[in-house]
Amino acid sequence: MGLRGHKTAVVSSGLAVRFLVTLMGPMHMAFPSHWVRGLVTPAEEGADGHVTWANASYERADLARRLKIQAEGVTAETRIVLYANEQRSRSFAVDRVVGLIDVERALIQPLPAQFRGGERERLLGLFVESSYIALIANPFWVLELPSRNNVLDVFALQASERRPGEFDSRLRLPSAALEAASAMSVGSAK
Amino acid sequence: MLRTQLRRQPHTGSTGATGARMQHMVVFSVGGQRLAARTEEIAGVMPWTGATAVPSDTPFVCALVRQEKGCLPVFDLAAKFNRPLQDGEPLCLVVKHVDGPLAICIDSQVPSLHMVARSAVQYRVGHDPDIAGTCIAGEEELPIINLTTLGVSSNRPA
Repeated sequence: MGLRGHKTAVVSSGLAVRFLVTLMGPMHMAFPSHWVRGLVTPAEEGADGHVTWANASYERADLARRLKIQAEGVTAETRIVLYANEQRSRSFAVDRVVGLIDVERALIQPLPAQFRGGERERLLGLFVESSYIALIANPFWVLELPSRNNVLDVFALQASERRPGEFDSRLRLPSAALEAASAMSVGSAK
Repeated sequence: MLRTQLRRQPHTGSTGATGARMQHMVVFSVGGQRLAARTEEIAGVMPWTGATAVPSDTPFVCALVRQEKGCLPVFDLAAKFNRPLQDGEPLCLVVKHVDGPLAICIDSQVPSLHMVARSAVQYRVGHDPDIAGTCIAGEEELPIINLTTLGVSSNRPA
């Protein structure tokens, strides 16, 4: 079961990276979708903050605090992102899910060199959409794993290998998120 | 977008020699604080279209502003000088920073271009490496700000 209402983003050529774009405070934060295991409402969290989904447990992380973002607090739009790779899993709250977007690798810009602090570890770069600038979170940092060089190349998909209508089957969403997911908008950064 | 304020200088020799004794400076203001900068350090001025915040640990660099299809980092000069930006429609000063183009939100008053006699420019090392010295432009003494190295060696408020 994929994202209802998802439209295949058109990518002209070359490599692309698919992101889940969210709002955290005033910022659009993008996460490589390869490691997104699901989206749930806060009601799915256990008393200890853990989320258990499909026999996997996701430890709660206060990503907004780690990113030094003033989040809105829990609202009807709040969602918990289940994020994991083979080594580690985490869940974290976002103020709103904006949608999935495929971005050509060449259109992803590094963080400008004037940013010299810890943000260089936390943020891989950015891309510019028509209505926002999205900051790309380092997925290794999100999962508190040692980072590596050329992180985004791990997540790049060959655009020409995807057929029209094909969707990344790695992104499976719990039913609890489907209503919200149906309202997601999907675009393509060009 | 620069207003030119060429002031007549005493004739002291040939045109070339006179030119060599002049320094082109741009005067602008941030939160009412008037500053001078060397013309060659400025890439342009454009309307301020709003910035996108970035969760940053770098002092005074915590936003991005759109420019054409890309975006520029923003240096918050008003915060550095502890001054609130004045009301009105601010402008975006794009500077030629050593690390690449950099945007600064400045007051709505359009920057003005001055030709300043080199004798009216005093370069000196102070406690703030972002300030190169002072100059007298338009009969006011103004701090000269090092735009190309802004924030590189200074992480503290002025």
